[in-house]
This record gives sequence, C-alpha cells and structure tokens, in this order.
Amino acid sequence: MVGSPVLLIAIPLLAAFLIPLLGIFWKELVRIIPGLVLGYLTILSASLYIDVLNTGTIVETIAGWRAPWGINLVFSPLTGFLATLMTFIGFIIWLYSYRFKRNVEFEAAKKYFIFLMLLVAGSIGIVITGDIFNQFVFIEIVGISAYALTAFYTGRNSAEAAFKYLIMGSLSASALLIAIILIYSQLGTLNMAEIAANIHNMPPQYRVTAMIFFIIGIGVEAEIFPLNGWAPDAYTEAPGPVGSAFAGIVVKAGIYAMVRMMFTLFDISGPMQILIIIGMITLVVAETSALRQVQLKRMLAYSSIGQMGLVLVAFGMGTKAGVFAALFLMLNHAIIKPLLFFSGSYLVFNSKEKNISEMSGLGKLMPFTAAFFALGSFAIVGLPPFAGFWSKLSVLTAAANDGLLLIIAIVLLVSIVEIVYYFRVINRIYFFKFDKATSVVPHKPRVNALIAMAILAILILVIGFYPDSVSEILNRASEDLLNTPDYIKNVLSTGQSLTY
Amino acid sequence: MDLLTNILGAIATIILAFVVGMSYGGIVRKITARVHNRLGPPWYQNFIDAYKLFGKTTAIHHGWMQIMGPAFLMVSSVVTLMFVPVLNNGGWFTNLNFKGDLIFLLYLMVFGPLGMALGAGQTGNPNSAIGVTRGLSQMVGFEIPWVMALVALMIQFNTTTITGLMDVQQMSGTWLMFSSPFAFIAAVLAMLGMFRYSPFDIVGAPTELASGPVSENGGKFLFTMMSSGSIFSFVKLTLYVDLFMGGADNLIILLIKTFSIYMIPVLYGIVSPRYRTEQAIRFFWGWPLFFGILAILYAAIF
Amino acid sequence: MEIIYLIFILFLSGAIATFLLGKVSKRLRDIAFITTLVVPSVLFFTQINIGQTVDFSVLGIHLSWGITNFSYIFAYIVLGLGVLAGIYAVAAMKGKENLGFFFFNYILSIMAMMGILFSRDLISFFVFWEIMTWSSYLMVVFTGKDVQKVGIKYFIFSAIGAYAMLMAIVITYSLTGSMMISNLIFAFPDFEFGMQILIPVLLLIGFGVKSAMMPLHVWAVGSYSHSPMAYTAVFSGALSKMGIYGMIIVMAGLVSRIPEGYWFREVIAWMGAITAVGGTLWAVAQDDAKKMLAYSSVAQLGYIIIGIAIGTPLAMLASLFMAILHGMFKGTLFMAVGAIEKQTGTTNFTEVTGLIRKMPFTFLASLMSIIALAGIPPLGGFIGKWMLYESVIGSNHYLLIIVIFFSSTAAFLYCYKFLFGFFLGQEEKEWAHVKEAPAMMVVPMVILAIGTFIFGVFPGLILNPIDAGLQELGYAVTQGRYWEMSVLFNEWGDTVVLQPILYTILAVFVFFLAFVLTKNFKKTRYVSTKDISSSGEIPKEHENLTFSRGFFQPFLRSVEPLMRRKIDPYYNSFGRGMEAIFDFVRRIYTGNGQTYALYVVVFALLLLIFKDRLWG
Repeated sequence: MVGSPVLLIAIPLLAAFLIPLLGIFWKELVRIIPGLVLGYLTILSASLYIDVLNTGTIVETIAGWRAPWGINLVFSPLTGFLATLMTFIGFIIWLYSYRFKRNVEFEAAKKYFIFLMLLVAGSIGIVITGDIFNQFVFIEIVGISAYALTAFYTGRNSAEAAFKYLIMGSLSASALLIAIILIYSQLGTLNMAEIAANIHNMPPQYRVTAMIFFIIGIGVEAEIFPLNGWAPDAYTEAPGPVGSAFAGIVVKAGIYAMVRMMFTLFDISGPMQILIIIGMITLVVAETSALRQVQLKRMLAYSSIGQMGLVLVAFGMGTKAGVFAALFLMLNHAIIKPLLFFSGSYLVFNSKEKNISEMSGLGKLMPFTAAFFALGSFAIVGLPPFAGFWSKLSVLTAAANDGLLLIIAIVLLVSIVEIVYYFRVINRIYFFKFDKATSVVPHKPRVNALIAMAILAILILVIGFYPDSVSEILNRASEDLLNTPDYIKNVLSTGQSLTY
Repeated sequence: MDLLTNILGAIATIILAFVVGMSYGGIVRKITARVHNRLGPPWYQNFIDAYKLFGKTTAIHHGWMQIMGPAFLMVSSVVTLMFVPVLNNGGWFTNLNFKGDLIFLLYLMVFGPLGMALGAGQTGNPNSAIGVTRGLSQMVGFEIPWVMALVALMIQFNTTTITGLMDVQQMSGTWLMFSSPFAFIAAVLAMLGMFRYSPFDIVGAPTELASGPVSENGGKFLFTMMSSGSIFSFVKLTLYVDLFMGGADNLIILLIKTFSIYMIPVLYGIVSPRYRTEQAIRFFWGWPLFFGILAILYAAIF
Repeated sequence: MEIIYLIFILFLSGAIATFLLGKVSKRLRDIAFITTLVVPSVLFFTQINIGQTVDFSVLGIHLSWGITNFSYIFAYIVLGLGVLAGIYAVAAMKGKENLGFFFFNYILSIMAMMGILFSRDLISFFVFWEIMTWSSYLMVVFTGKDVQKVGIKYFIFSAIGAYAMLMAIVITYSLTGSMMISNLIFAFPDFEFGMQILIPVLLLIGFGVKSAMMPLHVWAVGSYSHSPMAYTAVFSGALSKMGIYGMIIVMAGLVSRIPEGYWFREVIAWMGAITAVGGTLWAVAQDDAKKMLAYSSVAQLGYIIIGIAIGTPLAMLASLFMAILHGMFKGTLFMAVGAIEKQTGTTNFTEVTGLIRKMPFTFLASLMSIIALAGIPPLGGFIGKWMLYESVIGSNHYLLIIVIFFSSTAAFLYCYKFLFGFFLGQEEKEWAHVKEAPAMMVVPMVILAIGTFIFGVFPGLILNPIDAGLQELGYAVTQGRYWEMSVLFNEWGDTVVLQPILYTILAVFVFFLAFVLTKNFKKTRYVSTKDISSSGEIPKEHENLTFSRGFFQPFLRSVEPLMRRKIDPYYNSFGRGMEAIFDFVRRIYTGNGQTYALYVVVFALLLLIFKDRLWG
C-alpha cells in the first residue's frame, strides 16, 4: 500500500494553504510545489488504481466512522480511473503553465496556483467521495475556485463571466441542497451506498423531484443545456490553462456526479431517456452555436459542451457498450481538449480579441503549435487514425445496438458541423497567407509547454493507433459503474478497512 | 493466297468507291446547277479537279499535324469502307465485313473528322477552327437520331452487325425501311446532316469561312481530302442501302439504290438556305429525335 | 513479420522519413519519396498472394487484411498510377514550397488506398477511407486557393459520404455482430426489409461522393482543379476509383441479392447517365483545362457507374476496363496540363496556344490519351465504350443508350478543345520561349499513353485479371464468352476483331502518309502560322487570330436548357441557410446572466412538468 485515497484530497488542499506561506521564502516554490504535489498525486493515484484493478475496490472511512455514519471515500475501477485521469491532466496543466506570469506578476501567479490546487482537489473529491453532502461540499469548492479563476484577469469581461458563473452556480447549489434535504428527510442518510440500497423505498413523487433537483444542481457543472450559459464566457475569459482545466477536469467531475446519481443513487437501469434527450439537445445546440463563433476559445468552449452532451447520450443508453463509449469519450476529451486549449492559447497569445480571423498563416511561423492544434482538431472531430475516432465509433456502435438510428444520424450530422468549424480554423492557420496587418504576432511557446503538448499529442497517437491500450481499463470502469449491488456491498461492508 | 486476295479485293473496293463517289459528286454539281438554272460543270469535273490537285506540288506546310490530317481522314474513310459490305454476297468486296459491328463503325467514322480537325487546327487559320467547332457541334446534333435509328434496329433484331441486319432482310424479304419505318425516317433525317449539303453546310460554308477546315490545304493534301470525302460518301450511301434497302446483289442495283438515296439530301439541300449552327443542332433534336423515339418504342414493343 | 504489415509500415515510415529528410536535403527527400513508392509496390506485386490474410482485433472487433482477386484489379491502378505520377511529381513540383508536406500526403493517400483494397472488414475500410479523405483534402488546400470554399466543400461532402457509410457500418455491426464484409454480404438477404434498403443507400451515398456521382459531385471540380496537377492525376485517376470499388461491392454483393435490387440499378444507372451528360456539357463550357478535365472525370465516372448499375457480366467488364483506362488516360491528361502549367504558367485555353512544336512529346501523349478518352479505335478507350454500349443495349436500356451516346459524342467537342486550345492554332511570340517539360515528367506520360495503345489492341491483358475478380464476385467466367485476347463479343455473339483492324488502320495510315509525303515533303517548306491566307489577308506579326474565346458557343446555346439548372447554388443556399439557423441558435447564449438564470428556472419547470413522461 503506497498511500490512501484520502491523500488525493488532503495533499492538494494542504498545498493550497501552504503555497502562499512558502511563497514568502522563495517565490519559485509557488510554482514548484503544485508540480510536486500533482506529480505525486498522479503516481499515487496510478499505483492505487493498479492496486484496485488487481484486488478490488478500496473503501476508506474517514476518522474511523464506518459507513453509513461517517464519510467514506470509494476508490473503485471507475472513480480510480477518473481520479488518475484528473491528476494526470492536472499535472500536464501544471507543466504547461509552469512559467505562467513568471517574472511578471507574482501575486496573480500565486492565486492561480492556489486555485488550481483547489480545483483539482475539489474535482477529485467529487469523484471519490461516497457521500452526497460531501460531494456537495466539493462541488462548492470547485465552484468557488472556478469563479475565482474565471475572474483571474480582473477585467470587466472576466468579472462579468465570473459573476454569471456565480449566479448559475449558486442557483444550482440551492437546487442540489434541496435534493439532498429531500433525500435525507425521506431516507435519513447521506451515504450514497445506503441511499442506493433504500432508494426504492422512497415514494416515487419524492424520488423524481429529488432527481430533478439533482439534475439541476449537478447540471451546471456538467454543462448540460440550458444550464451551461456560463461556460462559453468562462472558458473565454479564463486563462488558457484554466480553460483546459475546466474541460479536462471540472466537467468530468460534473458528468461523473450526474452519472453516479442516475446509475447508483437512483439505481436506474436500462436506457435513460432524460439523459439521451438532454445530451442530444446539448450536443446539437452547442455544436451548431460553435459554427459561427469568432473567438477561438469560445469555439472550443462550445465544442467542449457539445462533447459532454455526447457523453451524456452515451451514458443514457445505459448499456455496457454505451457506458464504455461514454468513458472512452471522456478520456479522449480529457486528452484532446487541453491540447487544443494549450495550442490555441499560444496561437492567439498576443491578440487582444482572440479572434479566429487573426490566425491566418500562423502554421509556417509556429510549426509545432499549429501542428498540435491540427492534430487535436483531427482527433476531436473523429478522423481516424486518431484517438477521437475510436470513441466516436464506440458511441455509434452502442447506439446501433440499441437501435437508436435517429441518434446516430444526428450525431453524424453534428459531426459534420464540427468538422466544418475546426477545418475552417486549420485552413486559416495553414493555408492562408500571413498578413501583418491582421494576423497575431506569433509567440514562441516555452519548452515546458511544448513538452506538455507533446505528451498529450503522443497519447492521442497511441490511443489512435492502438485503442486496445485503454480498452481494458475502460471495460473495468464501465462494469463498475453498472454494478450497483457491488458498490453497495463494498461500501456498507466497508470493504478493506484501512488503518494506519 | 488468302491475304493477297484480300488485299486485291480491298484495292478494288477502294477504286470502286473512289470512282463512284467522285462521279456522284460531279453529277450532284450538275444537278445543282440545273436547278439553279445554270449550265454547270460536266459530270466528270471532279476527276479533272482531282487530277489537277494530284499533279500539283504543295509549297508550304505548318507542321506534322497538318500532314497527318489527310492521312487520318483517309484512314477513317478507307477502314470504314472495309467494314461496310458492298454487295450482299461479298465476293471480291468481303474485306473485313465480319470483323466489326455498327457501334465500332460509328466510332470509326468520327476518327477521320477528328484527325482532320487536328490537321486543320495546326494551320492556325481561324476559319478552320471555326469550321471544326461547327462540324463537331453539328455532329452531336445528327448523331442522336442516327444512333436512335441504329439502336432501334439492333434491339428489334438482336444483332449489332450490318451483315446480321442484311441477313434479316434477305430472310424476310422485306426491306427494313418498310419493317421499321420510323428508324428509316430518323436515319434519313440524320443523313441530311451527315452529308453536309445545305442547309447543313455550315462547316465549309464558302461565303463565311472560306471553306473552313480545308483552307490552307492544297495540292496532294486537298486531293487526299477530296478523295477521302468521295469514298466516305460512297460508304455512307452503301451503309444506308445495306441497312434499310436490303443491300444490293450486283453493282448496277447498288448504283441505282445509292443514287436514289443520295438524292434525298442533295435535293433537300438545293432548295434550302444555310442554317446557323444552333439552328442545325436544334433541327436534329426536333422531329428526327421524335422519330427516333418512335423507332425505339416501335422496336421495343414489336 | 507478415509482408502485409511490412508494406504499410514501409509506407508510413517512408512518409515520415520523406517529410523529415526534406528538412535536410532536397535530393534525399526525392529519393526517399520514390523509394517509398516503389519498394512497397514491388513487394506487393512479388510477395503478396491473393487470399493471404492477416487477422487481428481492435476493441474486441475482429479485423482482417488481405488482397482478393477483385481488389487486385484496383491495386494495379493505385500502384501503377501512384508510382508514375510520383515520378512525375518529383519533377513537376520542383522548387515549390512545403514539398515535404506534399510528399507526405501523397504517400499517405497511396497507403490509404492500398489499405482500402486490403481491408476485408468494414472498420479498417473506414479507417483507411478517412485517411484517404483527409490526406487528399490536405492536397486540395495545398495551393491555398479558395481554401475555405473549395476545401471545405470537399470535406463536407466527403464527411457526409463517410458518415453515411459509418452509419451503415455500425448498423451492420449491430445486426450481424461482425465487421467482416463477407459476413455482411452473407447475411444481407436475411435482413429485414427496411435495412435491406437503408444499408445499400447509405453505402452508395458514401461511395457516390467519392466517385462524384450526381448530385454528390459538386466538390469534384473545384478539388480536382485546385490540387497540384501531379496529385490530381492520382486523385481523379485512382482515388475516385475507390468509390467505384466500393460501389461494385455494394451492387454485386448486396443489391443484386434482394428483389428490390432492380430499382436500385435503374436509379443508379440513371444517376450515372445524368452524371455523364452533365459532366460532359459542363466540360465543353470550360475555358480552363483543369476544370474541363475535372468535369470530364465526373462524366467518365458516370459511364463507369452506369456499367456497375447495369451489372451484367459485360457491363461489369466494361466498367472495370474503363476504370483502369480512365486512370491511365486521365492521369496522363492531368499530367500534361501540369506540364503546361509548369512551362507556361497558365492552363487557360484562351491564353496558351500553339505549343505543338514546343512540347511535342506532351502533345503526343495528350493526343493518344484524348483519342482513348473519346473512345475512338484502336486505342484502349474504345474497348470500354464498346462493351458498355453493347451491355446497355443487350440489357434493354433503350433510352439510357441514347443518353450515353449523346454525352460521348459531345465529349468529342471538349476533346478537340483540349488539343486545339493548347497545342494548335496560331503560334504566338508570347509563348516562343516555352520548352518541352523535363524528361521525368514526359516519360510517365508517354508510358501511360503507350499503355492505352497496347490495351486497345490486347484488352485481354486487362480483362484477364478483371475476369478473375468478377468470378470472385460471383460472376461466371467471361473469357471466351465476351472476350479473347484481342477479340470482343457482345451478348448476341457479334464480334469486333481488333488485330486486323489495327493492321488495316496502320497500313492505310502509313500508305497515305507516304502518299502525301512522297516527292512532296522535300520541296514543301515549313512556314509559321502567321503565313496563312485568312480571307485573302495575311495576318500581321502582332495579330493573334487564334479562335479560342466562346469556342463552342453555338453548341452551348443549343444545349442551354439542359445546363440552366445547376445543383451547386442549391447546396450553397442550403449551406447559407444552415449557417443562418446556426447563427440564430448561437443567440440562445445571450451573454446575459439574467437570461441564463431564467433558463435554469424554465429548465426546472420543464423537468417537473414532463417528469411523468420522462420516467414513465
């Protein structure tokens, strides 16, 4: 045993508090510590995960209170997978943003790293906690740090974006709280496993109402339509790495919470129309909105929302193939979207407006960054032999197995829209003439950023050429999600009780 | 000596076609003149012209393609001649009758004009090129009813060979112009364009284009073109006789039949002014097309 | 190590090596490029046996690669044209920027095409199909002209096609539980009625796009004319044949096995016919050689589609023969245009004239290819045309034959225009400096042109592998029934014997050439094209009398009603309409926090209202 799941939350939280203190001694520590923390977390999480795959779910009780009385953390093939993914993406984001505002603004950089730690800690918390109120708390942590990061550039626009996010976040928090209260009033417990075991005893009216409030509460983080009004603004106004953190980490946590709620908490099996419908609407609206965007990051934001819609559709099918596809999509999206945000931020680095039209002819001047962006675009629209293709294929085969032909058709049509807007950008980068008057002044990426992007690009290629490298993990994770009885059993019997 | 017989037969056919074609040309000039109330040249005037051209030396040329043009033209007419049965029983004129069918023939027939067009193109004379474009456009026009007529015959009798169609007529005893009248009408209307007499003489149009593609050619070049044209007229007439009039058992009948069918475009032409190119094309896509469709319907139903 | 894997690894690593070597040395890059094309081709033709397969699985789906008799036919096109056009490309693209990128994509698209031919399962098929699409897309936008319009249009249509195909693929998978093409063909007759219609329709949309079938052809002209000509030779010659390849599998494997197949055939045949006519007429109207050839390609593919749709053994022979021949002569013509573009800087008929004496070999290759394109005996194009007509007549498509005949007769117009526009006419001072293209460009053209000649006399050389391929698709042996080495038969036993025809043609040609020349040529002197009698006047040195503007205006005027309707504007306005809708959708995100808050409330209310509906 290398460590315990609780460290995954405790260490970043601790680090967030220590960063300002240590920053007093040596400013560079503000940058180094998050890296060390995230690197350690990645290793810890990965080794725990390997453990879990071999021996079974780890359930950790906090402060000796056994479930259902105390709070417990569940590190299962599913949550472990997501936690590992998040820590890894967090590490990559740190690597990319290591020199963020270095030698420019110390205070701002300090804030950035603090909130980044909080964001990661909260997201991991959402995923591995086994208690709905605890989850609520983590959602709030994520929310608050996200508002702060959105408002990072302290301008009018960022403040507005953060404020919108805040309004939505608060509304959703209230809804979530109502849902929790409803459940607690009926079942008298906040433990997920316990709720799951007893949910069918709850009167249907209460159950459905609670579920609706849950959907509204979590939907804001999961970026479902129409609760995602904050997202385009937040992605656009926040710094580049924060955008990738939203896309790569926060949304994943939101989706997880949503799915855990539907699959486990309310123990719904079989197709979930609501997820499919909401997902489809989110997908269609977001992707079509993306087509006419003028700002690069806003376009990426809509694309991200759309992808999450597709993930929900895949989850909504409720079959093993569907869940597998959804997890595959989440994995690919977590790799590809940060790459797009990373390279995209560099492409429009020196621009005020961050408009797509300013990117003409950058391909020649910034060959690597442009190539990474192109690779990311190819992958995200699902062109083989890149990673995105296999997940799209999995979604489609899953849908075909359920006979959802209309959904296949719509998903494919929307993919065409997706292709159009991504390829317009690629064309502009590569095949337009560089124009001094209108184009952005190119900004050479730093080595650490290039390494971060290269790692993601290599992952895209690896998964693209050899999708079986991840299929086993995804299989285990999807089985885990679908197997509610095992989840209940593992948690309530406290699984491996941990003492140290 | 099979090969020798074949070659001799081929030469005999060519000579026959040349003589008959040239004579017909002269006679047509005479007839035209008489209708126009002129005296006209003697019927052998074409032979005199040919002899004169043959004797002359060509002083200038504009390049290889121009030299190859007449040869291409001759290939087309002579090889087509080889494939069209002159007489019903073959004999000396068998040539390559059984080696190709009508569709092959259709394509072979455009070989020459296209080669000629290339030769004309190299001279750089704008009139030649204009003439060529007109000729090709008109060809697209008349080819449609012509092909429809042929297709009607093919599907009616399940054969695509000329000899096959001739056998059908021999067997049944009726000419195809009676057993498939619409095809015959369509084919005859198409023939008006094929022979390029008025109103379809837009290719060479003497007053506008200074004789079009053949301008810039003289001496042996022009002689070759002229002989080729004569042979080609003979081939086309023989083809019509073979297809629609039961072929000919001997040369006399052949001459009578070909001459009578030749009079259709000639007489129609004498009394007609010239069309513009698009009028010519549209003409063929009017009634001839209609008869072509009737012919196909007739063939498909019966 | 399986030799099949080796071929693909060689292609892939060769592509990357070529790209990287381009940064070091140009000569090395060129050598790497040619080697990457030649070595796998040699391996393929010497080491790969038909029927040999390799199997593996991805994501639990069983995949299989191997070559069949049928795909071998197309491998000839792909590798033959790929290598020759590759050699041409090295010389043609010399001095251009970004060549590493060009060669990289070139090799990738050749690899992708080979991959398609190797794929025995739908997933590999689709993967390679998409690689082919995007690598060719990158070629279309390579020159940077009209990128957002032409390039995006190409990709949209390709994506529509590919995704239609993907939909069919996943449906197939859900129905049969297998991705193997053979399983699809095997299980197809037992599918329910709706699927029996849906799957072929979706697949045909996919293949129809690549083979430029109307009304899915609108991408073709822009894409063919905007790619570098060295690639367009492959694009039009080989890449479009992948659509034909797939279409044949669908028609022979699926459609012919269901009772409704008849209607499929009729519809596809007529779409092919419309493609042929439309392509031809628009080709006649073009003043730019690239566009003209592009439309001509569309038209030629139309003939091939007709043959496939008719589906009798003779028609299939015709289609496949034409597919190969089209690759050869259209490849040559695109190369010739590329050579002219390189030497003169333009491809417009109204600008360039009189190149025949400056670029004789290019002219010779173009002449032979044009004769083949026009379908005039004794060159190869005739064989395909003849078999097509015979099969159309023999299968009782009476109106279809007229339409085909019309378009192939009208094709003479643009054929002549091509030769006249570039090579004939007045020789102007402006082009006096033009030289023949480098040998590396001329040789591939001439080789292909000679090929069309040889296959015109000995079609059996090609028909033999085609016959083997057709037998694999379930057709009976056609040798002896429809063809011998140089004899063709139709359904009624009528023959065309090619060899005596050729000999006669040659004999007559030589005789009359000699006749015209004897005692003649020596005394005849060459004069320039300015020395002509134009209505009795001699044109001055500066007067350009070449007739090239409005070349076929009278003809175009008479067919104007046929050309009035264009599908392109409809697509464009549809696209604009969609963008307008999307722009409207975008406005859902007002950017106003209050609206968003309202959305949350409305969403909550909606969920509460419809909760019974949603949870039953």
